[in-house]
Amino acid sequence: MKVLNFYPERCTGCRECAMACSLVKFGECNPRKSAVTVIRDEFKRYEYAVFCLQCDEPVCVDVCHQNAYTVEDGVVKHDDDRCIHCRLCAAMCPYSAITVHGKDIVKCDLCNGDPMCVKYCATNALVYEEETKEMALKRKEMVERILGTP
Amino acid sequence: MLDRKIGIVDLSRNSVKIVDMPKDIRAKYLGGRGINTYLLYKLLRKGVDPLSPNNVLILGAGLLTGTLVPNSSRFNVSTKSPETGFLGDSNCGGFFAPEMRYAGFDHIILKGKAKKPRYVYVEDGDIEIRDARDYWGMNTNDAQVSFRKNLGDVEVACCGTAGENLVRFANLRTGVKNSAGRCGTGAVMGSKNVKAVVAYGTMGLKIKHPQKLLDVVKEVEDYILGSKLTPILGSVGTPLLYEVSNELGAIRTKNSQLNQWSDSLNAENIEKEVEKMIGCSSCIVHCRHRNKLGGEGPEYTSVGLLGANVGIDDVKQVIELQNIANDLGLDVSSAGTIIAWAFELFELGIINEKMTGEKLEFGNFEQARSLLHDIAGREGFGDILAESTQAAKKFGKKSEDYLIAVKNLPQSDPHDVRYIKAFALGIATASRGADHLRSRPTLEIFLRLPKEVKERIYGKGVSPDPTSYDGKEKTVYFSDNIFAVVDCLGICKFICHGFNSPHFLDYPRFEALLEAATGMKYGRRKMEAVGKRVIDTERMFNIRQGLTRKDDTLPKRYFDDPMPMGPTKGHHIDRNEFDAMLSRYYKLRGWDEKGMLAPSRVEEIKSVGGLP
Repeated sequence: MKVLNFYPERCTGCRECAMACSLVKFGECNPRKSAVTVIRDEFKRYEYAVFCLQCDEPVCVDVCHQNAYTVEDGVVKHDDDRCIHCRLCAAMCPYSAITVHGKDIVKCDLCNGDPMCVKYCATNALVYEEETKEMALKRKEMVERILGTP
Repeated sequence: MLDRKIGIVDLSRNSVKIVDMPKDIRAKYLGGRGINTYLLYKLLRKGVDPLSPNNVLILGAGLLTGTLVPNSSRFNVSTKSPETGFLGDSNCGGFFAPEMRYAGFDHIILKGKAKKPRYVYVEDGDIEIRDARDYWGMNTNDAQVSFRKNLGDVEVACCGTAGENLVRFANLRTGVKNSAGRCGTGAVMGSKNVKAVVAYGTMGLKIKHPQKLLDVVKEVEDYILGSKLTPILGSVGTPLLYEVSNELGAIRTKNSQLNQWSDSLNAENIEKEVEKMIGCSSCIVHCRHRNKLGGEGPEYTSVGLLGANVGIDDVKQVIELQNIANDLGLDVSSAGTIIAWAFELFELGIINEKMTGEKLEFGNFEQARSLLHDIAGREGFGDILAESTQAAKKFGKKSEDYLIAVKNLPQSDPHDVRYIKAFALGIATASRGADHLRSRPTLEIFLRLPKEVKERIYGKGVSPDPTSYDGKEKTVYFSDNIFAVVDCLGICKFICHGFNSPHFLDYPRFEALLEAATGMKYGRRKMEAVGKRVIDTERMFNIRQGLTRKDDTLPKRYFDDPMPMGPTKGHHIDRNEFDAMLSRYYKLRGWDEKGMLAPSRVEEIKSVGGLP
């Protein structure tokens, strides 16, 4: 299965990923209204993209009392019609990967298998690629460690 | 997209006015440099003291700035220059301009003077004038880190102590790297008792045709990334040009007494000091070096002017000097030129220890470093150098013969223009003084470029020989116009046709990007007309300040001293040939022999309506 991977050493901090995401989802260019957020600080010398990792056992699905989240073919999807914009998912996401912009909840859905952030990343810092079983296991272990799941 | 406002901040009255962008101004000047220039022309009168409350400082984002359009990060800062007395104008990348737009503003005009230190805070449609006492006295890195600590994820355009102390080449800085470097913008901010403009915005830029923009950008991006030059620019950045100029024998060395310098400053050695290459907002080229000495850079200008020009050949020393200049908020181009000028004047005995307090010598790193601090603090001899070219008043008339400046602005390009005649005409006619970012036709350096390629870009009759004067007015004319257009759109010149490559973006692609983003339809002629209008308006501003044909000239040395070394040995600028080329350039512009605009053109520009 393909997953969205990020390689920080290639990221230049330009935010074209977020520009493309907000443009596709909302018809505007707005790095603060994007499912991928580039956290950057020139003075502390880093740039890092934060986005939904499509967890195997998603916290957002668990905590959403409106059942606005579903998992379809490994992609965690947000249904805005069911959502009451309580922002609990964003607060609980262990990766802070859900963006809240005013009333809007912005959550990565991998653009139906053709992520725009990847398409407009000029340096291949964001890559949509096959996940190996090993990576899947590693990721699951990490999620469980962070969540403290027994 | 077209809904962003103009904020007018009156610091004397402690009041803010927010107005819509008049449609006519938008249509005629698009944004950024164009609209800034028009506003500046309308708001100022003849003879305004640049450091008085009557001057204005305008920050203006490009029309496509902050969008998916590649390399659309830029804004323009415009004012009457305290360094030159003419048009003060500087273009800057980074992340500030997109933030200012997301905060609701395309242009912010600072007028008057605050009684006490203030900063201007802009967030989602509102502007506040706030107390800046906690930030006054800080240099540009500390100030920005403090603003971010206190206010969150904001972007800042601020002056350093150099600006506070009214150094005539103090700049505005944003981030670790970016500067609205030229013409003393930071001194004007300091003169208004303003430390910074700070922005935070969540208001996205609505795109007229989203899918179309996605499609056009993808095509443009593939085109740019497919160029042979892009990976080079993205791995070594502008220092690439040092070696090119140096091998040719055209790197300004020791105040242009020499024209070649050490290979030790070549890009391959700079690369060793680079941790990572990063980009400005929306940049797909990423030419910024995050250096291992705690800063970013160096650019080619720093390598040349804080290296070769002051006689320093150690990469680490050059990087340290530019990191210091950046932090203090000093323009590296003016700093490196003015210090080298003083060094030569001392060697010649035109100035002496009585004035300087010590023996001045090329290649003395410690001295150059302490001079930067003294200039920013206006201490000792630094207080005289802080006057930039106006220090000639103290140094005496003879000193002017050794000054590498045009229209009182020290030359920014480390390239010695005695060899390439189009470069010479470019810096002689640039509206803000000796500056290469107005028209530099870098292609002239690539000596083997076929005649057809040059004629296709610039027009018939352009000689492929860089030392020929033939047709070079067309080279400058084309470049001047298209660079003005990209400055209005907010796009970096790095991806603009003719700046570095004959294959980067030309008018048709700018037209497609503009239409997809805004719905504004501009054919080639209409778009080029914007560039011409910007240059004519800048000319009108300068003429009102007293500019005449004699100001469109070159440093004396470029005429009278042949280049002493390397492949360019013996070349200089011939006064008669230069004069004839200048006349041809005026003719192309529709200016008369004296460099004046036709009265009908002046009226046409004055009649652009809807001043806020």
